[in-house]
Amino acid sequence: MHISDGVLPTQVALTCFALSAGCVAVSLKKTHSEDLPKVAVMTSAFFVASLVHVPLGPTSVHLLLPGLVGIFLGWSSFLAIFLGLVLQCLLFQFGGLTALGANGLMMGLPAWLAAAVFHGFRDASSRTRLLAGAVVSGGGVVVAALILAVLLATGGEDFAGVAKLALAAHVPVVVLEAVITGFVLAFVDRVKPELLGRSPWRSEAR
Amino acid sequence: MHLQAIPCPIRTVSTPSVFRLEGVDYVYPNGRQALRHIDLSIHEGERIAVLGHNGSGKTTLARVLSGLAPPTQGRVLFQGDPLSRERLEDLRQRVGFLFQDPDDQLFCPTVLDDVLFGLLNFQVPPKEAEERARKALAAMGLEAEAHRAPHHLSYGQRKRAALAAILALEPDVLILDEPTANMDPTSEALLSKVLKDYPGTLICISHDILFLYGLCTRAVVLQAGGIHHDTSFERLISHRASLQEHGLDFTFRFQCCNGNGSHEHGRRHRAIPTSPELISEQGACGPDRRLVGALPKRGSKVHPGSAQGFFLEMLGFSYAYGDGTVALENVSFQVGRGERLALVGPNGAGKSTLAACLAGIRWGTGQYLLDGRKVEGAFRRNLWRHVGLVFQDSADQMVCSRCGDEVAFGLRNLGWPESRIRKKVQAMLHWAGLEGFEDRVPQHLSGGERKRLALAAVLAMEPEVLILDEPTAGLDPQTEQKLLQLLDEVEATLVLISHDVCFVSMLTDRTLLMHRGRIVDDLPTGKFLVDRNLHSLYGLDFTYYNRCCREIQDLQEDHRTNAVTETADLR
Amino acid sequence: MKALPLHWDPLAATGLGLAVFLTVLVAVGWFRLRKRGQGSPRREGEETERWAVPELGTHEQARGRSIFHRWDPRIKIASLVFFAFCAASVDQLGVACVCCAISCAALLTAGTPLGFAAKRIAAMAGFLAMFFVVMPLTVPVLPGDEVVQLGEAGWIQLNLRGFSVAALVAAKALSVALLMEPLFRTCTFARTVNALARMGLPESLCHMLLIMYRYVFVFRHEISRLWVGMGVRGFRPGTNRRSFHALGNFLGMLFVRSLERTERVYEAMLCRGYSGRFPVREGFHARPKDWALGACWIALSMGVLILDGWAVPVLFR
Repeated sequence: MHISDGVLPTQVALTCFALSAGCVAVSLKKTHSEDLPKVAVMTSAFFVASLVHVPLGPTSVHLLLPGLVGIFLGWSSFLAIFLGLVLQCLLFQFGGLTALGANGLMMGLPAWLAAAVFHGFRDASSRTRLLAGAVVSGGGVVVAALILAVLLATGGEDFAGVAKLALAAHVPVVVLEAVITGFVLAFVDRVKPELLGRSPWRSEAR
Repeated sequence: MHLQAIPCPIRTVSTPSVFRLEGVDYVYPNGRQALRHIDLSIHEGERIAVLGHNGSGKTTLARVLSGLAPPTQGRVLFQGDPLSRERLEDLRQRVGFLFQDPDDQLFCPTVLDDVLFGLLNFQVPPKEAEERARKALAAMGLEAEAHRAPHHLSYGQRKRAALAAILALEPDVLILDEPTANMDPTSEALLSKVLKDYPGTLICISHDILFLYGLCTRAVVLQAGGIHHDTSFERLISHRASLQEHGLDFTFRFQCCNGNGSHEHGRRHRAIPTSPELISEQGACGPDRRLVGALPKRGSKVHPGSAQGFFLEMLGFSYAYGDGTVALENVSFQVGRGERLALVGPNGAGKSTLAACLAGIRWGTGQYLLDGRKVEGAFRRNLWRHVGLVFQDSADQMVCSRCGDEVAFGLRNLGWPESRIRKKVQAMLHWAGLEGFEDRVPQHLSGGERKRLALAAVLAMEPEVLILDEPTAGLDPQTEQKLLQLLDEVEATLVLISHDVCFVSMLTDRTLLMHRGRIVDDLPTGKFLVDRNLHSLYGLDFTYYNRCCREIQDLQEDHRTNAVTETADLR
Repeated sequence: MKALPLHWDPLAATGLGLAVFLTVLVAVGWFRLRKRGQGSPRREGEETERWAVPELGTHEQARGRSIFHRWDPRIKIASLVFFAFCAASVDQLGVACVCCAISCAALLTAGTPLGFAAKRIAAMAGFLAMFFVVMPLTVPVLPGDEVVQLGEAGWIQLNLRGFSVAALVAAKALSVALLMEPLFRTCTFARTVNALARMGLPESLCHMLLIMYRYVFVFRHEISRLWVGMGVRGFRPGTNRRSFHALGNFLGMLFVRSLERTERVYEAMLCRGYSGRFPVREGFHARPKDWALGACWIALSMGVLILDGWAVPVLFR
């Protein structure tokens, strides 16, 4: 779920912008300049993947993928996510223009977290790695939802109810995201293990 | 060490050398050795065809030559100097490399930006750059598309745009990787013309011997990363045995292209009484349902208009894209059960759209009846149970990480019990010549194997109608021949979309000619093939191919007589 | 059951009014899209049309002659984004409505197809609808709030102030969303991004945006082909393990192919002399007219802020 314009108080929105800009700068610094075009191409793949709707009972949800982006892109993931959100805002109005910073933090921080945690499992057996990946990406959504709730709650007492609901709405997404990420990783592990190992063009998370 | 079957002529080339490769090895980071001890010199103005099986290292060689892959061992000399960092930049400016997939090379928002990208990077003044870019686009027939985004262009146009982006740099050396794969005849003809006029050194990787014929003078054949032959192109193609050895024997094509392309109906009496494997397999999956359903033998094929009625019928069918472009207009035709039909026409004629409508992927207005039932609602949603579709690019059909799962994918959706699926998967893999491939990764297979896997995966579902979209795109001749044999065994009603006259003539009995979304003619394939008026009317130039075929055949004929005398001499 | 109060808080009333307005707008947008679809043969449920990505600023769209098309993109972006921030920080519903009206006027002046704007609103509709449903139920009751009790024992309490808060959010979101069209669809995407680069956004980010914009379309086509490939073999997504497995493979396939593509794209760039920088050929020159227009928008934004912070509270309360 993306925050739209007009929800956050201006000070919060601006602070988030500043924080996001800082994180993007760090992410940019940690990515080799020659890798930038590659990260861009990969980001469009994630962008397209986030358009895919997964049926869930009578409705469908789209995946957030912060965990998966973190697993694949390491330090570059914040950059990738931020640019993806910019494009989403420009093309679809998913997430508002003034809330870009907030949305960037909401999705980018969990991606970094996922990257850091998954990094510990890179050399584990493929089964453990899969499990870790699934858990990490589920956890990524949990963190994203928590950040969303906190951000919504900054709007004052009036928004507390919406924040709680948003948190609750993410519960099924967490499960779904973990399951699907597990399958994605299993596929990638068989077909192109380089994507999970230490790829030469990816800067490592920590 | 392989004994060269063809005596290698000592070429006396007076022009200076462009490239010299000395003992070049290339090993991928994952340990796969792609090139083994390559010694090669390429001289200015030479036109070289690089041939070989899939995975024989052709693309790697091209990447080494264009400075993208520094050799693991050995030296690359460009114009006499070893490749250093400064030299590399110079090389990039002088060597153009056309990739196989144009989408990789068009990374800018508009086509013009793409052509300008290289020019501006090499410090051409903006004004001159724009002029050169427009000239290059005009040469490829794309003036009108300069400001369009690449994804609005057809595949052939994109490929031409990518070439324009390279030719605008006026390179001394042009390397082309499979330039004709998936191309429509119009684009191919334009490409062929541009390449013939190209003054520099040309290195062309391709399976398409007919395209190379008349373009290239020297042939380098790679096998398992090493140079297997390095000879004149004419010599290579006249030597059938070595063509065969490298999967390049396309002589099976002569059967359809001989002389004026008269259609041999010999194939119709082909011995299709199912091969032993097929019979055993039918036993495995139950007596009632066979590989291709309980269909009448091809001899007793239902002809259109016969009393038994039509199996597939379209009446006044139209389709328009979201932006209002009409893709199909009032299309009406009937197909009898088990009939084999070809859809032929220039690009943009609506063939693929018609195929998508037949498979129920797209939906327009008008009537579509299958087996006497109107296709609509739930029946349309379940059309996949009756109609199978094999895509042009079989990689688009692979969504599993095991070949076995790939074949089982459709069967699981059909709800078959696992035990029956297992048997069927075995049988289908066997049929496609892919025994023991269950646990292999489909994405790691070669193009030909993947095509057969895609075919097996679709046919496993026992469709009553099989639609094939450009089945030969990007395959080497040997694989094509294998595919032809497999397809000949299929007894489902067949709809074949192809630019490939040979496949059309060998597989089908009847041809629908499409033009601008309409069916303009419906005639027996044999008649279609000899009707040159039709070809020229709709931009389908097969006569050039026929001529090439004939000439190559003559060469091989000559060679055979020569060879006899030569061997006699040797003794 | 308690009767509905006869006299309503004027703000809540406006809130409800805006909710109705929003719904009507979405409905009209939806209807327009439907109607266009009916003109040509029916295309609903089309597998190949899935995941359509709208284009932003094609060459054709950039050819318009409105004041927004002729404006120097740098000043346009700066002043309109400033306005967007001002509009998003408004606290009075009435002022937010004024912002909405200004954005509407800008949209109509720019003359971009209204279907795109409708799609933007539809994209936000779910999020905003949640506010309209949740806010009245959860907003804490403050002194002076109108509370409507529904049900037998009044177990549903609707706080009408919730509507007005939701309406405020919706109005603010709407005024920014409507502004996006004149902001980004009035010149080509490449030009917009170049303008951003000139305004100080790191060049590397801008190039990444351009590459992404290009490959989003490539990958969209790629996955729709894959999706059709699964569809013709009978795959129908559902909430079960097999579906999730297939979807996981499907996404995995997308990532594997895109990884392979990254290398090839990079090599293609190297082949054509890429050395870490994209050539920029477009120049911008701002005329006094552009600056004047920018100043007008800044003044308008400041006006909105003043109206919101001082005029409305002081004059109307």
